Amino acid sequence: MKLNSGGIMWKLLRKNISAAQLTGFAIANLIGLTIVILAVQFYGDVKPVFDDEESFIRRDFLIITHRVTGMGALMGSNAVFSDEAIADIEHQPWVRKVGRFTTSGYSVYASVGLGGDGRKLSSQMFFESIPSEFIDVDAADWNFDPKHPVVPVIVSKDYLSLYNFGFAAAQGMPKISEGMVGMIPLMFTLTGAGNSEVIPGRIVGFSSRLNTIVVPEEFMRWSNERYSTTPSAAPARLIVEVNTPGDMKIKQYMDSHNYEIAGDKVDSGKANYFLTVMTGIVIAVGALISLLSFFVLMLSIYLLLQKNTRKLQDLLMLGYSPAEVSKPYINLVIAINASVMVLSVILMIIGRAYYMPLLEAFGSVGGSLWLAIAVAFTIMALITAGNVTAIRRRISTLWRQKE
Amino acid sequence: MEKIELKNVLPAVFAGRDDTGSDVWLRNVAFERGKYYLISAESGTGKSSLCSFIYGYRCDYSGLIAFDGSDIRPLGVKAWCDIRKSHIAYLPQELRLFPELTAMENVELNNRLTGFKTQKQILDLFDTFGIPEKAHSTVSRLSIGQQQRVAIIRTLCQPCDFILLDEPVSHLDAANNKIVADIITAEARRQGAGVISTSVGNNVAINVDKEFKL
Repeated sequence: MKLNSGGIMWKLLRKNISAAQLTGFAIANLIGLTIVILAVQFYGDVKPVFDDEESFIRRDFLIITHRVTGMGALMGSNAVFSDEAIADIEHQPWVRKVGRFTTSGYSVYASVGLGGDGRKLSSQMFFESIPSEFIDVDAADWNFDPKHPVVPVIVSKDYLSLYNFGFAAAQGMPKISEGMVGMIPLMFTLTGAGNSEVIPGRIVGFSSRLNTIVVPEEFMRWSNERYSTTPSAAPARLIVEVNTPGDMKIKQYMDSHNYEIAGDKVDSGKANYFLTVMTGIVIAVGALISLLSFFVLMLSIYLLLQKNTRKLQDLLMLGYSPAEVSKPYINLVIAINASVMVLSVILMIIGRAYYMPLLEAFGSVGGSLWLAIAVAFTIMALITAGNVTAIRRRISTLWRQKE
Repeated sequence: MEKIELKNVLPAVFAGRDDTGSDVWLRNVAFERGKYYLISAESGTGKSSLCSFIYGYRCDYSGLIAFDGSDIRPLGVKAWCDIRKSHIAYLPQELRLFPELTAMENVELNNRLTGFKTQKQILDLFDTFGIPEKAHSTVSRLSIGQQQRVAIIRTLCQPCDFILLDEPVSHLDAANNKIVADIITAEARRQGAGVISTSVGNNVAINVDKEFKL
């Protein structure tokens, strides 16, 4: 008869293993670890909603102006940013870069033909330009050639919504998609400095970052030279890319300089900040549960080794090394921890299936699962390393304190 | 390993005694491979202590114990594991069997370390000792005399230079004593090993080269 010798060791050393204690550890750690990785995964899934270029809660760019007060408006002063003020903003630690808005210094009249019945939509308007690195639309024809003047324009996404859901709906006009807009012929009449000219234009994109009508900087320079009588003025609006959105220092700086941040971008920054804080708290709670369960396991192992001291010493007397004697317990711990990790990842994926439909409404396709899995693996690897070290040390003590 | 030497060794519990009246304590003693030694002692003279010093699981003594001229105090875990697996076969007085395992499993726990004997050779030993039917009984169900024989079989299931026996036949009758003596001498001869046996009266029936009074 062939005896399974590895089996004998296990038969000997499994005595006194407390299934209740190990189950308690496994469940507690499963809960803790699942909380941690579900929070990590949720953060990963929600983050794209905040970071997405197209998202309404885009956070990294702030458009700032001077706060318009009654007195300031009457005085007509201080509405623009001086070079010194811009330099000061650029030197703030939370600023990545600053872009200036240039405004057209002439009158613009735009007209759009709607359908074949001769109806036209006409409006007085204006142009602004900013350095192209701040533009969130990837437009192919974003340039201007004076020899063949066609003006590419990027308008705020809000304008399209306003037309589609307001104007078109009320007037019984066709709704238009972003793709169709490029085909609509626009005519701009530029008037100023005694000149007047009609130039064709085309909407090349919609921006959710810029709440204005943007043209290329080349066109702005060319047209201001021809039609503007006022010299190029200091900018009234700035676009600022920040690296720590939601930072209270930004708000304090803006308030102390009487600047105003356009729209709800700061609120979205705050939302993002609170998301980070909340995720941090949830992760901390999960990690605490995991840590406590780790101590339960350690205690259980210590009790087990204590009860089996005599057997372990007898094995050492036969010539087994502490490493060989530790092995069944180490294998046990690895098996439990690996099962907890796998179960926890499964629970996380199930949990995710419940919340993802809610996020899809915001256009999130979800982040990768790998970060959460890597976190689960790292935590379990650390816990296992802690357990293994404890077992080894305990058994080494048996070797040294024999009898 | 060819030689085990004791130089001026005294257990810590006997510290301060100048003359122990012993042939071993505070003397220079050498045990050589291939020879048979009997250490006869009365209770409380440190017989089991001597075994535990030589087997490396206690070091509460003064003086020097050397294997082939090297002090054994600095030996590490790895070296002792190797000595216990392949150089010294030890039968503790308290046997140290695992009561929840079968006799065969107990033997196998030692044998698997070096794969020294085949299953058949082990079963033959059970047969020779007159307990073939006990091979697969749990040790807790065996009599003390049967347990002593199982422990001896376990001790013999490894390569060795010395067989260290702490009261090997204390629970055996004369007939079984003879069997144990025959098997141990046969195994020692096969391996060229030395035998060091202790006794408080019931000596193992081996013709010894030298007897020490502890």
